[in-house]
Amino acid sequence: MTHASVVFVVDDDPSVRSSLKFLMSSVGLQVESFDSADPLLQRKLPDAPSCLVLDVRLRGLSGLDFQRELAARNCHMPIIFITGHGDIPMSVRAMKAGAVEFLTKPFRDQDLLDAIRIALDKDRERREREKEVSDLRDRFNSLTPREQKVISMVVSGMLNKQIADQLGTAENTVKVHRSRAMEKMHAQSVADLVKMIEKVESSGEP
Amino acid sequence: MAQTENDFTLEASIPTASLESILCTEELQRRPSRGPDYEKENHAFVKLVSGLADSPSTIFQTLAETIQDITQCDSAGLSLLTRDGKTPDVCGQRFYWPAIAGMWNPHVGGGTPRNFGPCGDVLDQNRTLLFRHFERRYPYLMPVIPAAEECLLVPFYVAGKAVGTIWAIMHSGRRKFDAEDDRVMASLGKFASSAYQALAHIEDLKIQVAEREKAEAEVRELASGLEAKIRRLVEANVVGIVMWNLEGAITEANDAFLRMVQFDRKDLASGRVRWTDLTPVEWRGRDERALADLNASGIFQPFEKEYFRKDGSRVPVLLGGALFEGDGNEGVAFVLDLTEQKRAQEMLQEAQQTLYTTQGELAQVSRLTTMGELAASIAHEVNQPLTAVTNNANACLRLLARHNLDPEVLRRALEEIVADGTRASAVIARIRAFMKKTPAEKKELDINDVIQEVLALARRELSENRVLLELQLTKALPHVLADRVQLQQVLLNLIMNAVEAMTAVTDGRRMLSVQSQVDESGDVMVMVRDSGTGLGSEGDRVFNPFFTTKSNGMGMGLPISRSLIEGYGGRLWASSNSPHGAVFSFTLPIAAESPS
Repeated sequence: MTHASVVFVVDDDPSVRSSLKFLMSSVGLQVESFDSADPLLQRKLPDAPSCLVLDVRLRGLSGLDFQRELAARNCHMPIIFITGHGDIPMSVRAMKAGAVEFLTKPFRDQDLLDAIRIALDKDRERREREKEVSDLRDRFNSLTPREQKVISMVVSGMLNKQIADQLGTAENTVKVHRSRAMEKMHAQSVADLVKMIEKVESSGEP
Repeated sequence: MAQTENDFTLEASIPTASLESILCTEELQRRPSRGPDYEKENHAFVKLVSGLADSPSTIFQTLAETIQDITQCDSAGLSLLTRDGKTPDVCGQRFYWPAIAGMWNPHVGGGTPRNFGPCGDVLDQNRTLLFRHFERRYPYLMPVIPAAEECLLVPFYVAGKAVGTIWAIMHSGRRKFDAEDDRVMASLGKFASSAYQALAHIEDLKIQVAEREKAEAEVRELASGLEAKIRRLVEANVVGIVMWNLEGAITEANDAFLRMVQFDRKDLASGRVRWTDLTPVEWRGRDERALADLNASGIFQPFEKEYFRKDGSRVPVLLGGALFEGDGNEGVAFVLDLTEQKRAQEMLQEAQQTLYTTQGELAQVSRLTTMGELAASIAHEVNQPLTAVTNNANACLRLLARHNLDPEVLRRALEEIVADGTRASAVIARIRAFMKKTPAEKKELDINDVIQEVLALARRELSENRVLLELQLTKALPHVLADRVQLQQVLLNLIMNAVEAMTAVTDGRRMLSVQSQVDESGDVMVMVRDSGTGLGSEGDRVFNPFFTTKSNGMGMGLPISRSLIEGYGGRLWASSNSPHGAVFSFTLPIAAESPS
């Protein structure tokens, strides 16, 4: 959680690229810049909050195409578009596809820095959410199949007795499974457990 | 050939007795003869003559009966040479019996061969012959009953040629023919000849009359058929039909025509409807040409004109016509209403105009798009360095605020700022160079020389577009102080605009007029006048940058021209030409030390 955040800049104009890097580093941001999309796609992205400042007009893959490409690769890095000659349809397209901001050059430096802050916060939250779900999934996977079964029945609102009847076992046995599972899941209460299971389930995988 | 049971073929006739053995003509003179009965004879002739006059068709039968009556024979008749068995013909191959009185009457229509029979013998010997039982020589006569005891045969002639015989037959020995019979038969033979000729003449006449009647009937039929057809045409009212005279009257017209011009039958009857009055004055010249054609050839070819309707409006028509034969004063014409065709034509033209306009608008939109893209591209070119400059400067300000600005960092930032500033101004310089290629070089110029130079450049364009040039250059104009190339560009621009404005003109003259003079304020003034489509509501908008009506125009020509002229202290403006087209005028102040 303490990894330093990174801002990626993709702009084919070297002086714009370097001025952006200078501006961002002047406020203490870590910046990596590229003259086109491809090298960024090749690079392994860091395990840290990050965002992308992307010029719409690029050599090769355009900014909007790059945005689509990243989405296709399940990469949810927030994007801030900058453009020398933006038009409304273009910005609508970008925003609909999830861009954080669409800035027309020359922009106020504060607008860009604000957008970067929002984008990094957003990415940080996303990363924390993903981390939590992934921890929960790890814990859930550490349960025995019997414990998993009992837990899912508990979450669905069944009483120990009902669960014991259905599984054809003693109520006491169910109680043991249940307390072990609660302990492994770090759940303080049944309500806590229900929230945890919901988070795991809503993230797609069981 | 008339075939009856009494008709015999040549093949069946095998001679059995000689001709001499059946003839006894000489006996006539030896036999005791009765005295002539002239009264009876006269009576008979009167009857024959009146019969010939009254009923020629039965004259042969009357003759046969007369022979029988006068000679008191048993059968009497006549034979005529014929080719077809009916029509008398001197070249005929048979004798035909058209009339028989007495006992042989049932054999009417029969006959004998030309060259083998009693009649043929009479014609060959060219005299009266008396036969006795001629069936002995001519077996084909055997079935013709009762058999002929004696037969007196007399030939008759027309124009020297024997055409037939008359004959009298006794079927028994009751009485024998004598010299008196011979004489009477000879007289009757002469009558037969007259009757034959009279009949032939009557037949000729009949044929002539029939032919004439037939011809007349054909003419009548043709006339009535044609009249009916023409009446059908007139009354169908598919086209207007008028009868007129050269004095200008319309004497007759069908409903279709009256409908076209909105007059009724009463108007027509009153003589109010006159083609001269119906014709608008500008069409009278065309009418004169039609009249000249009428005089020359009797017809006038179809042409288009207009007629006034009763309410004063006009109807476009197509008409063609001809003079009637006769005194050459009256004629007929067809008149077609062209209103619908004209309307359709106009609609087509309108549709085409709309199409052109739409195309024009489309072209302009795409051009504006291009201009928009160009502008965006220019903006991008300038925005890039500006962005870099502001970013660098802002970064410096932020570091400075935190007292964290390393002088080396600042130096690099400032270097970049300078580089980007230079880059931005280079972009602007490029655009300016694009707009204004060469630096101006002011010199004293005679504007007429510049006009001539530009016209030399544009000459080919003028002739290709069939533009007529009118030059009105005032001689010895004061000089102006300007750049020659720039003035050439201004003039060429105005002239090309004028030519392009006239390419749309297809129905009138394309006239370009270039005029030079000194205006009231003493400036040199040049006017470029065209007969093109004019400015319409566009007015002064033509001087707005990017405004253009041309498919390949940038919309920069006139604004640049105006700024160039204004740069020399002159003016450039547009006005309307009369009756159509536009005038672009510019003034230039005269050079200080001008010769005038």
